Amino acid sequence: MTARLRVDWPACQGRGLCFEVLPELISLDEWGYPVVEGEVPRELLGLAREAARTCPTLALRVVDAP
Amino acid sequence: MNPVLRVRPSGGPGGPLLDVRSGPFLLRDLVADPSLGRHRHRAGPLARPSLHGLVEDLAGADVRGRGGAGFPFATKLRTAAEAGRRREVVVNVSEGEPASFKDAALALTRPHLVLDGAALCARALGTRRVHVVLPGDRPGVAAALRRAVAERVQDGERLRWRLHTTDPGFVAGQGRAVIELLSGRPNLPVTAWAPEARAGYRGRPTLLSNAETFAHVALLLGAGSASYRTSGTADEPGSRLLTIGGESGRPVVVEATHGTPWRDLLDEPVLDRPVLVGGYHGTWAAPGALRDLTLSRTGMAAAGLTLGAGVVLPLAAGDCPVHRTAAVTAYLAGQSAGRCGPCRNGLPALTDGVRALDEGVDVSARVGELTRTVTGRGACAHPDGTARMVRSMLALFGEELDAHAAGDCTYRHADALPGPRSRR
Ligand code: SF4
Ligand code: SF4
Repeated sequence: MTARLRVDWPACQGRGLCFEVLPELISLDEWGYPVVEGEVPRELLGLAREAARTCPTLALRVVDAP
Repeated sequence: MNPVLRVRPSGGPGGPLLDVRSGPFLLRDLVADPSLGRHRHRAGPLARPSLHGLVEDLAGADVRGRGGAGFPFATKLRTAAEAGRRREVVVNVSEGEPASFKDAALALTRPHLVLDGAALCARALGTRRVHVVLPGDRPGVAAALRRAVAERVQDGERLRWRLHTTDPGFVAGQGRAVIELLSGRPNLPVTAWAPEARAGYRGRPTLLSNAETFAHVALLLGAGSASYRTSGTADEPGSRLLTIGGESGRPVVVEATHGTPWRDLLDEPVLDRPVLVGGYHGTWAAPGALRDLTLSRTGMAAAGLTLGAGVVLPLAAGDCPVHRTAAVTAYLAGQSAGRCGPCRNGLPALTDGVRALDEGVDVSARVGELTRTVTGRGACAHPDGTARMVRSMLALFGEELDAHAAGDCTYRHADALPGPRSRR
């Protein structure tokens, strides 16, 4: 099992607080919505969880990916 | 007996017509009598399959979902069976894609074949309840299924049929949007954290598929199933339904066994034109490309084409693929539910880009980038499908884009249609 970041798009309001917490894995598109790609490496798992907690609409989740 | 049956999905007088051509299995011996009595006479009594037996049968015949994704139906059924005890069955007849009429054709000509398939799955899954999702914008289809369900209830079938009606619009028929509708929430897509076969309606395992898929299940278990199993190709037995867009604007639904050459399915002039295969979320086929291909999922995939829900839209004579792509993109942008940022912002931007291309501004790099930006970033696959369609235009019609950039359009010239080209 590896961890991935997933966005609940209807809930995401943009503005990118998650990006500020985790610029290593998150970038923003031209409208300010997060672009999350690839797996979350083990050493960034803590920060990824923090980014998810920081999201004001709880739109960001760390999920298990097969 | 009638080789072509003309039906009216909208119901009532005056609505657009649909031609349904007789076919080998699903559309065999079409008559204007979709009654339960006649259906039972043809198809025999409903089987009572074991779960294991049904999974084996479906896997053996490689029955796949006919809604677009082509997911193996046996896997879906097994997943639902293993995920929990209170299982749900959902027949989706809503066909979100407005150019698709195959499920409408089934509902209007063989509704009981569809309902049999759902009943068989319900029996195998040990549930008494079946949901039927009716298209809100096709009252004739909805009425046909209501009638058919009423007949079955009167006949004493011990299933609880629950009917639901979608809102109009492209994404209302999407799987998650349908589950929202069943749950009494707005009929819009939401983020799926697990496949609905594991956690769908009320978090229960939910076997959801479109009408055609369930009709194939019924064929597989009904009278005459032996010839169905040996039809098609070794890899892909059986048949599939196609909706072919017509020059007159009247689409025709046909059934063809897998392996049928496209030459036998499309008229000669159409084969030499660009064809949008797989509907508005599909991919463009180059002029002549279908000439040497057959109706097969794998064969089409090898040529970079997806069959999707089986919609085939030949470009009309005198139309231009770039112009047409711009029109379809604009339409699709208008159909976005507007709730996911990348889709809400990205599809209008994509529309502007493709319009600019049509008008001769070379922004293909920007358009290509936008297709990547929107893909995979929504609650449903609407942005992905839109991007796929646009990308296939970029990949195929580079020369035409050059012509447009030079202030020209080969397609409009080639057909020498009278009147000026509408540039705006
Ligand atoms: S913090 Fe949450 S709402 Fe804000 S951009 Fe990130 S995921 Fe979206
Ligand atoms: S991806 Fe687009 S169409 Fe799908 S739910 Fe989100 S906004 Fe609506």
